[in-house]
Amino acid sequence: MRTRAVVLIAAIVAALGFSRSLPAQSGQGSPGTKTPQASAAMPDLSGIWDPDFHGPEGIRLSSWDPSDPFAQHPEKTPMTPWAAEKFKSVRPPFGALQTLENTNDPVQRFCDPPGIPRIYMYPWEITFVQTPKIVYILYEYTKVWRAVAMDRDHPKDPDNSWMGDAIGRYEGDTFVVDTVGFNDKTWLDQTGHPHSDALHVIERFRRKDHDHLELSVTIDDPKAYTKNLTSAKVYKLTNAPMGETLCAYSEMKAFQDNVIDKTQTPGGK
Amino acid sequence: MKSRSLGVLGVVAALLVLSAPTLAHHGVAGYDMAKTVTVHGTVTKFDWSNPHVVVYVDAKSDSGEIQHWTIEFASPVHMVRAGWSKSSMKAGDDIVIDTHPSRNGAPIGITSTITFILKTVVNGQPLPTRSE
Repeated sequence: MRTRAVVLIAAIVAALGFSRSLPAQSGQGSPGTKTPQASAAMPDLSGIWDPDFHGPEGIRLSSWDPSDPFAQHPEKTPMTPWAAEKFKSVRPPFGALQTLENTNDPVQRFCDPPGIPRIYMYPWEITFVQTPKIVYILYEYTKVWRAVAMDRDHPKDPDNSWMGDAIGRYEGDTFVVDTVGFNDKTWLDQTGHPHSDALHVIERFRRKDHDHLELSVTIDDPKAYTKNLTSAKVYKLTNAPMGETLCAYSEMKAFQDNVIDKTQTPGGK
Repeated sequence: MKSRSLGVLGVVAALLVLSAPTLAHHGVAGYDMAKTVTVHGTVTKFDWSNPHVVVYVDAKSDSGEIQHWTIEFASPVHMVRAGWSKSSMKAGDDIVIDTHPSRNGAPIGITSTITFILKTVVNGQPLPTRSE
């Protein structure tokens, strides 16, 4: 009897431990710690990665909808009625609906952070700093970074933020980042598809070969989309050091006033 | 600014592939990407800053009046990676530059994005270009 009780307790403990090691899929995972994976299990992501806009695989995505990567028919993305209504008000500077007149792109208009996953649609480099407990992802565009926790789950009720709460794990040769806890202020993509604060993003980074890194992004936001959206792009290893591409509002405003807006008025007046 | 502007040399028909749905910060809706004009004038300012490098050029139109051109390029880091620098030109330099003009007829153009750099010659020396 006593032996059976011990076995039962052990089984419960094991089950709890296992459940903690699973990624939270809805932001409701149990908070707690996990044992980081051994360094030997880490795929090597070192180096500077360029989105390779000039190469054959340098896909210039404007939408995460795999059936419409260049946003030629962005209204056909499987949005919920809530998202479709919200999408009607966007004035994107990219894609088939592009307009530069009174665009309300929060990045171009206000230098808002592009957030995740939109930041991957910009043509700037990324790099990784891998430690056992945290993997840092550094972005050349606007010089922002994320800390991907490798030793815990999501908080039960994460704060809403621009970049969300990111946890990670290695699956063989793939680095998987699971992020929840976003605000709803960013666009998903260059064509203005909206998302809710229930957005859940899964990024999968895999080194296809020494010089190429594939990024697959899955959008899981049932409030906004009737099915998950998954698209991939490829980065290329580069020797070009990361530079300064800040979005300084004063510079952006001056450029908007002196160049962009003058292409939108008769004779540039 | 003393101008040695020789004028807009002419409009060159250019059939460019419109396959650049994504640029750095904005699309190209304001520009006629099927048209290329060649501007010959004098650099009045070379603004090497984010979000886009911009050159200001005084050029003389066919009717003889000075036109103040504003021509944008890609971001500084992308221009560096293409072989340009903040010293590629300066105020007072003679410049011959191809550009896609604004659709509204304003003397505004785009000569480079992340995907291309059109012909730009400063004091007789060509700067690095890039095909789509």
